[in-house]
Amino acid sequence: MSLNPTDIVRAILEAAPDALAVSSLGTATSALRAASDDGPHLYMGGSMGTALAAALGVAEKRPDRTVLALLGDGETLMGAGSLWSLAGLAPRNLLAIVLVDGHYSITGGQALGVPDVFAGVAAALGLHTATARTADEVAEHVANLPRPGLLEVRYEDRAWPGPSPFVDAPVVRWRFEAAATAR
Amino acid sequence: MLTSPTWQQTLADALLEAGVEVAAWVPDKRLAPIGRRLAERGVPLRTLTREEECFGYAAGYRAAGGLPVVLAQCSGLGNSLNAIGSLVIPYGLAFPVVLSMRGTLGERNPAQMPLGRTTVATLDALGVQAFPLRDPDDAARIVKGAVAVAEGARVLAPILLEAELEL
Repeated sequence: MSLNPTDIVRAILEAAPDALAVSSLGTATSALRAASDDGPHLYMGGSMGTALAAALGVAEKRPDRTVLALLGDGETLMGAGSLWSLAGLAPRNLLAIVLVDGHYSITGGQALGVPDVFAGVAAALGLHTATARTADEVAEHVANLPRPGLLEVRYEDRAWPGPSPFVDAPVVRWRFEAAATAR
Repeated sequence: MLTSPTWQQTLADALLEAGVEVAAWVPDKRLAPIGRRLAERGVPLRTLTREEECFGYAAGYRAAGGLPVVLAQCSGLGNSLNAIGSLVIPYGLAFPVVLSMRGTLGERNPAQMPLGRTTVATLDALGVQAFPLRDPDDAARIVKGAVAVAEGARVLAPILLEAELEL
């Protein structure tokens, strides 16, 4: 059975149940909402290209917590400089996870039009990297890949995850801040 | 011999006293003494790849309960509009920003003029009030006020380092 984005995020959360997650707009936000039953995560409703940067800020403020950046592939391209920052700041608690289907889903499924190479670029930057294609591989790498790292998850089932990616921003911020500062 | 602190040092010290914990910046000559002073006093200075990334980083740091500052040239504001307009403002993630003004009095680079001329208008169009700093003696007072606006009134609080500071 081929993986869809919600299956992937569910496997991620099972492997890191206490993590603070930041999701990029579109597929990642919708999948995280579905897989976490609207858990108190930092869902991006817009600001394409800044999710990994925001996750860096979260990781540096909360070095005691595991932080996950759930990123679309188009998102990662738009904020590609943050891969360099991830390597430069090198937070020991941050894992970037790129959901790679080769397409801009929320705008209608247009092809990326550029090489969908993420783990290879991250490896060149000195980050720990892995590629997963099954839920078991996702869970194993989320549990074991050293940080800072980048996990590339390749999938083909491009069914839309479901929940709206248009979130109520102040509510998201308030719930996330409460979760991030709880302990 | 004791020397009195420069306005840049006073500004950095005021940020620290107001509770700023981290600074994100893209290097700039006029901001460098501020960043250096912050780093000397134990505030991590994070050099990122683009101003928009600084706003994203600061938004995440703020959302996690911290107080960041962004240091950027005003031309970098142009690079940052999407992060400000669709993350910082709608999510209510307020923090101080120090914008070094280019493209204004004394500018010799034509490429700096358009974004210098439109900085205040751009912020205004986004509903963001800017706080100009022209007199070096006002540095501490304006920082204190800007951080109060960010923390208390919960809106983005940019301090503009105007050209008059150097003239």
